[in-house]
Amino acid sequence: MRDDNQTRRLIKEAEQARLQQYTRRHFLKDGAMGFGALALGSLLGNCWGNSGSKKLFDAANPLAARPPMFPGKAKSVIYLHMAGAPSQLELFSYKPELAKLDGLDCPPSLLEGKKFAFIRGVPKMLGPQAVFKQRGESGLWLSDNLPHLATVADDIAMLNAVTTEQFNHAPAQLLMHTGSARLGRPSIGSWVTYGMGTENNNLPGFVVLTSGGNNPDAGKSVWGSGFLPSVYQGVQCRSEGDPVLFIKDPKGMDRDLRKASIDAINKVNQEQYSEYNDPETLSRIAQYEMAYKMQISVPDVMNINDEPQYIHEMYGTQPGKTSFANNVLLARKLVEKGVRFVQLFDWGWDTHGDSAGNAVDIGLINKCRKVDRPITALLLDLKQRGLLDETLVIWGTEFGRTPMQENREGKKMPFKGRDHHAAAFNMWMAGGGIKGGTSYGVTDEIGYNIVSGKTEAYDIQATILNQLGFDHEKLTYESQGRNFRLTDLSGKVIKDIIA
Amino acid sequence: MVFLALNTAEFIGRFHPILVHLPIGILILALLFIGLSRQERFSYLKEAIGITLFLGMLSAIASCISGYLLSQSESYDPGLIFKHQWFAIALAATSIVLYVLHLKEKRLTWTAGLLAILLMITGHLGGSITHGSDFLFKGSSAKNSKVKNGHKPIANIQEGAAYATLIQPIFESKCIACHGLEKQKAKLRLDGPASILKGGEGGPAIVTGQAEQSALMKRILLAKDNKDHMPPSEKPQLTKEEIDIVEWWINGGASFDRKVSEIQQTDKIKRVFKALSTDHSNDEVSLVDVPEASVSKASESAIQKLRERGITVVPVAQNSNYLLVNYVAIEAFTAKDLKLLQAIKDQLIWLKLPNIALTDERVDELNQLTNLTRLYVQKTNLTDQGIAKLTKLSNLQYLNLSGTKATAKGVASLSGLKNLRHLYLYQTAITDDELKNIRLELPKTNVDGGGYQVPKIEWDTAVSRAPIVK
Repeated sequence: MRDDNQTRRLIKEAEQARLQQYTRRHFLKDGAMGFGALALGSLLGNCWGNSGSKKLFDAANPLAARPPMFPGKAKSVIYLHMAGAPSQLELFSYKPELAKLDGLDCPPSLLEGKKFAFIRGVPKMLGPQAVFKQRGESGLWLSDNLPHLATVADDIAMLNAVTTEQFNHAPAQLLMHTGSARLGRPSIGSWVTYGMGTENNNLPGFVVLTSGGNNPDAGKSVWGSGFLPSVYQGVQCRSEGDPVLFIKDPKGMDRDLRKASIDAINKVNQEQYSEYNDPETLSRIAQYEMAYKMQISVPDVMNINDEPQYIHEMYGTQPGKTSFANNVLLARKLVEKGVRFVQLFDWGWDTHGDSAGNAVDIGLINKCRKVDRPITALLLDLKQRGLLDETLVIWGTEFGRTPMQENREGKKMPFKGRDHHAAAFNMWMAGGGIKGGTSYGVTDEIGYNIVSGKTEAYDIQATILNQLGFDHEKLTYESQGRNFRLTDLSGKVIKDIIA
Repeated sequence: MVFLALNTAEFIGRFHPILVHLPIGILILALLFIGLSRQERFSYLKEAIGITLFLGMLSAIASCISGYLLSQSESYDPGLIFKHQWFAIALAATSIVLYVLHLKEKRLTWTAGLLAILLMITGHLGGSITHGSDFLFKGSSAKNSKVKNGHKPIANIQEGAAYATLIQPIFESKCIACHGLEKQKAKLRLDGPASILKGGEGGPAIVTGQAEQSALMKRILLAKDNKDHMPPSEKPQLTKEEIDIVEWWINGGASFDRKVSEIQQTDKIKRVFKALSTDHSNDEVSLVDVPEASVSKASESAIQKLRERGITVVPVAQNSNYLLVNYVAIEAFTAKDLKLLQAIKDQLIWLKLPNIALTDERVDELNQLTNLTRLYVQKTNLTDQGIAKLTKLSNLQYLNLSGTKATAKGVASLSGLKNLRHLYLYQTAITDDELKNIRLELPKTNVDGGGYQVPKIEWDTAVSRAPIVK
């Protein structure tokens, strides 16, 4: 009897203690979740469509191929980013009016209220340092610095009026690739593989290849996965030495032993996951599995030595070394094998005019020699293999260069060069359902400002997603309490260049 | 003072399009009340008739006043204005009569009927002024007459008169609606040589020989969101080609009788003319490679069996049951793996078998896949025998045979595929001459034999250096 009383008292105590845990704060919070909130929730749920908590992918197999929102023409993307900002005035933007102003002082109207990276005081204007001609049936203006590209001018859709607000390399690259000039957001390749996985699960869905001597200024974040599960980050492969660092088994370990150890690790990870439910754990398990498959598949596809000699000549490759041409040939091989997104970065286009290598009439041309042939070869090679219609090729950069000769610290530069110019520059796209021989956007007579057809990074990102079959406004992921998307708050598909 | 008065008048006039909705709505409501209140269960509506008629009458009078002021400031077709104005006055008068009759508690039926008829006529005439007299029926006929790109190919452009063949159609489709017979906004008409040269309120529309100085040119080149841009942003815009043509015509002297060939032409305008003269009417609607007909969902177990072999199976879109299958990541391909496709033969439309040991015998497994629109068999062991079997796939639009043992004979058998639009024969033994013949046999197909070259040029191996400073 006494036990019963005591038990009852203890139960009562426990109840009271539990009730004391329920503070005013809890009550208000619970009270707020009234019928009104229910109704609002269902309303908002309809608005947003894909509610944040309903993630697109299967965490056990995050890179498995998944359907796009509508059938897209493109199945793969090859993005060629020239890091450093090549001078559009010596490549794509024909401005004869600028030639008339060569050597004259820059008019104050162009300098008022503007911030420049290095220009100080009153710089002189610098006329185009290249000869331009119209190419192909479409009459695309291309300079003599890209003689090979001129032969495929009718496959290109030129964007003449791309603009950005960032005039420093790192934030501008981040903006172009992640939709924000600040760190922390996923890159295009991550969004794409998050949205549709990849068709070949033995290879990464998002591969990154760099050349030119350096990584891009924005660092590895420019192919990072941001707040998306880390399985969607770009896998950097190298065209020289081990294709992927740290993937080879150490001496003495054979493949079976490697498999056994990965299985063991993943078993532990799986237990961790059931206890803590951290999705990153699943991502880690998937990445171990992927790495195991990549040990075989990647060296295989990354080996360009098995390509016939005429292909090497076509691309201008340098087997054994790191080169842009090697990377482009690899990009083609990867896309042939079903890789979804191949991102190339070539460093060294920052022609300020502070050295011969950085001069628009010397170094720029040498750089063009390294990229013109491989890019042309890529377009032709994809075409003949029947892949150009489903591979979206983008040639891009982070901003353009000024019509003025740079005068760092107000002094004369040893060579001809241009400073960073965010307001107007060029990019182009080809393949993947893009209408060749078109152009969109117009800039003024000296290439300083945009006249019509303003194109921002968001528009380019929206177009990429559109060609793959996604509505850029609907491909979202919930993070920090709201739905994010690649194009964040803006972005329009550039319909003029779509077939 | 007069200026201020004029401006105020115009301002009040501009309320006409708003005010006009009031008598329409209120008077219809009044007529409804009059009609319904005759019935027992709606007799309470009798009370409301008075105030409704009163308000309708007032708003009708206000509309008439504002309408009159508007007609003074804007330039409209006098004929349409006359009719609309007097019917509107009749309407307002009838509404006054109706109200007075109601006050005197007389029968309203006939007057109400008259009001309804006047309302309809006045409203229709008013709508014709703003939207054109053919507005109601414009929808059905316009769709049928529109050709792709909105223009019919013009044969013999060079021989035609520049104004009649090129400029007049552009003005007719994009400008005359507001600057022609029915309306003359800003007192400008563009429907005849004399009127074009005369200009309007803002002066001459064109300066012959100088497109840059011509007001017309300036306005069509303005940014679309600029308020002076022409045509107004909600109306159909001039295409890039049309703008180029107008610019060329003005620069060439804005002649109304000279032929196209007699006016100097730049390379740019020559390209535009070339594009205009190509006949697009026979371009078939491009085939879509996802069938429009819907299909039931493929069985999950069939898809699972494929996936277990490392074969990628994915729907072509989120709302589609059609499937894309890719064998690129398969583990050790055997003939059995093709049999697995039978279970999804209705849904399978895109099939990728790159670099697979697909022999001619095994192609038999593909015979049932008649819904295929895209087939990739590059670098397989197919020979002409196997290719001949592919003719059963009548819906095929894309066929990639690069790197196979296809010969010209085998490819010739594909002429039975009526929907084939893309054929890839790179790295086959087919010669350039044979390709020419194949293209004749498959006129609707884009046949790509590959073998593109990027020729070596001196520039490739040159090195740009800084000039040596002595």
